[in-house]
Amino acid sequence: MRRRALLAAAAGGLVALIGAGAGVWSQVPVIPARPEPDAETALSWIAHREGRYTLTLPRAEMGQNIATALKQIACAELGAAWEVVDVVLHATDMPRVKATVGSESVMLFAEPLAQACAALRDALAAGQVAGQVSVTPRPVADLRSLRTGGLIGASPEITQGREIVTGAPLYAADVHLPGMQYGRVLRAPVSVEVESRPVRWNIEAARAVPGFVAVVEDCGPPIGKAQGLGIVATRPGALVAIAEAMDVAWSMATPHARSDIARAVDVDVRLSQGALPHEVLDGAPEDGAWDVDLRIDVPLAAHGPIEPRAAVAAWQDGALRVWAGTQDAFYIRDFLADAFALPAMAVTVQSCRIGGAFGGKTICTVEAEAAALTLATGNPVKVQWTRAQEYALGFHRPPSSHRIKARVAQGRVTDWDHAQMSSHIMFTAAVVPPWMQRGTDLFAGDGGVARGMAAPYVLGRARAAYDMVRLPVHTGPWRGLGAGPNALAVEIAMDEAALVAGVDPLAFRLAHSADPLLAAVLARVGEIAGWGRAPAPVGGLRAGRGIACGTYKDTSHAAAVADVAVDAKGRVRVTRLWCVHDCGLVINPDQVRAQCEGNLVWSLGMVLTDDLPTDAGHVTAQTFADAPIPHMTDVPPITVDLIQSDRPPQGAGETAMVAGPGAIANAIRAATGQRPTRFPVRSEDLGA
Amino acid sequence: MSFILNGQSHDIPPDWADEPLLFLLRENFGLMGAKFGCGVGICGACTIIIDGVATRACTTRAGDVDGLSVRTIEGLAEGDSLHPVQQAWLDHGVPQCGYCQAGQIMAAVALLDEVSDPSAEDIDAAMDANLCRCGTYLRIKAAILSAAEQV
Repeated sequence: MRRRALLAAAAGGLVALIGAGAGVWSQVPVIPARPEPDAETALSWIAHREGRYTLTLPRAEMGQNIATALKQIACAELGAAWEVVDVVLHATDMPRVKATVGSESVMLFAEPLAQACAALRDALAAGQVAGQVSVTPRPVADLRSLRTGGLIGASPEITQGREIVTGAPLYAADVHLPGMQYGRVLRAPVSVEVESRPVRWNIEAARAVPGFVAVVEDCGPPIGKAQGLGIVATRPGALVAIAEAMDVAWSMATPHARSDIARAVDVDVRLSQGALPHEVLDGAPEDGAWDVDLRIDVPLAAHGPIEPRAAVAAWQDGALRVWAGTQDAFYIRDFLADAFALPAMAVTVQSCRIGGAFGGKTICTVEAEAAALTLATGNPVKVQWTRAQEYALGFHRPPSSHRIKARVAQGRVTDWDHAQMSSHIMFTAAVVPPWMQRGTDLFAGDGGVARGMAAPYVLGRARAAYDMVRLPVHTGPWRGLGAGPNALAVEIAMDEAALVAGVDPLAFRLAHSADPLLAAVLARVGEIAGWGRAPAPVGGLRAGRGIACGTYKDTSHAAAVADVAVDAKGRVRVTRLWCVHDCGLVINPDQVRAQCEGNLVWSLGMVLTDDLPTDAGHVTAQTFADAPIPHMTDVPPITVDLIQSDRPPQGAGETAMVAGPGAIANAIRAATGQRPTRFPVRSEDLGA
Repeated sequence: MSFILNGQSHDIPPDWADEPLLFLLRENFGLMGAKFGCGVGICGACTIIIDGVATRACTTRAGDVDGLSVRTIEGLAEGDSLHPVQQAWLDHGVPQCGYCQAGQIMAAVALLDEVSDPSAEDIDAAMDANLCRCGTYLRIKAAILSAAEQV
């Protein structure tokens, strides 16, 4: 096998230049497989041996603390003590589970797990001590773990919490293997959607750097259209000096046709060219003047997890083994098998705890870099992206622009028209090759862009439609997908419509609410926030209070109230936040609250800070200073109230993203009289 | 060259002297608590304590701790008995993803070593430069206040 021969050559320690240049990569995409979990599959997640149980977590653990919630389900159903159930993160040597996306982990996995645990419990009670258990799903009412009581509705110490606070190794970059080396794949400083490749470099200077091991030309698939050049060292810090010494010259194609990103997604420019092709609401608003007519712009934004992507790869016993912090270990496995022409059986991917993902760790990048470098050198290789690589090579929340209009009569919205221009979230270049893109763009639209465009209100003759354009920057899922920006636009327009109607914004929303559960969270947040009272004055600043609400993926609901204070220079502080949240049955209230708190901090970031600078279609951000995220002192006191519900459990990881941003934006309007429409808000738009 | 690492003397291998201290700790000594987040001292995920001062390990040259005392999160607990700050972090359910928390905890320990009864302003001043993308800041504040009662 060609790669084995390369390994032998490298093992001698003499070969610094490995491979014959750019590989030819498959044009047939590896599509993420998304099997729905069922009780039969769930049997592979739980095992019993000599009085102890092992729960193999069928989800990625990335801070939603799903390991804790599913352990609560397992313990409650098994009737097992907390101490006798061990949780391990899955590898791809178990039956496939779908990616950990969309706040589905409790919603879709709790019941199958409960069914499997019930079957195991009954088998043990019947005296079975070995072999395979079979499961016949029983009515949900017969399960012990899907109702409040005991561990369900409790908040035990989080699983892996002790390891976190003692610094024990949990994350992909914490993996340490004997003989391990450190790798990086250099890529051109240009848009990832512009063809680029290395053409020459100073190998002598690189060799002179202490710790240098190898330059690897055959360094895995391109990211977008960016062919890389791999380097390997005995110490991670040496990679910086080697990269500098190499002084790589790059071949780079001419700039991307849509390098002016703001213009490419300008909804008004797009509307001037004709109707938008993808309809979410198909009502026919009447012609005529509009009472509300707003243009709202939300920019490109990074996920900004504190953990830059990392992977460790090793060739062990004739197989490729990879440790990864990924939301979809099985997709990584399939992608690597395809990219390196290995049988799927010869690739194992071990899930590690993820240091923040937020939708961003769903495709295969750093894992392929680590795999290529280990296959080339024969040694285990760790690759962790720099912060600058995170920005330049990762994908981001697409920018979107919205033209949103409403007509109001007798206190009600009679006509509504929401047009959005954005870029792809689901059918991105990472998973759809160029030859398929035209088809998906024409016929499939993009459910991620559409998410949240159907306002949760009865709005008379309502139309909502969108289009997308492919950008020089990679875009994709970001907490809540389109729902955050879409709900922000909807909630700003509803607020303006209430002003026009002369109706209190809370009462106005209640009057239009299409769902009693949404109305309930709205009414409740009004109670706990004391809606109707003026916000607490803050020493000479302009204070304002705003409200917003929304429904996420049809089944979970949130409403938020925000207080802000704005100084004479237009600088905004959020001074108080309230949120009421209904995600059905709550397994772990403390961690659902934690998700709400996180979403509210993200809401604050979305309105006040989130932006990712680009130049000529290339991300120019290098550090957190260029793409700031909220700090401790930006975050006000937060009150979260959870609706007690016996509905089946729904998602909680993204829901409050549909309420928090609108509440903050509407509070700024209340404080200043200025309607913020360009995000993040600029102080020059809000001067006294 | 040598330094004190969590109470024990260790040599600094000469070929590691020019590496960031963070990589010496992680890749040479196998102490994986301090994390790489940004590499330029902005995020604080690599925070450790050098001679009592909370310090960014990613921008500290390994050779520069010659003769100094370095404390990492691995040195906080005594056996199974957690440091009060660690226990407070669990009691308040602080960690979401957890990646920044070793740095947060070390910054908090350094603060409480300096100011045993910190005000909200003291906490803001000591902690504001440690970033958390999950948004656990309010729980971090609450955990520090309850740890202060135990320290």
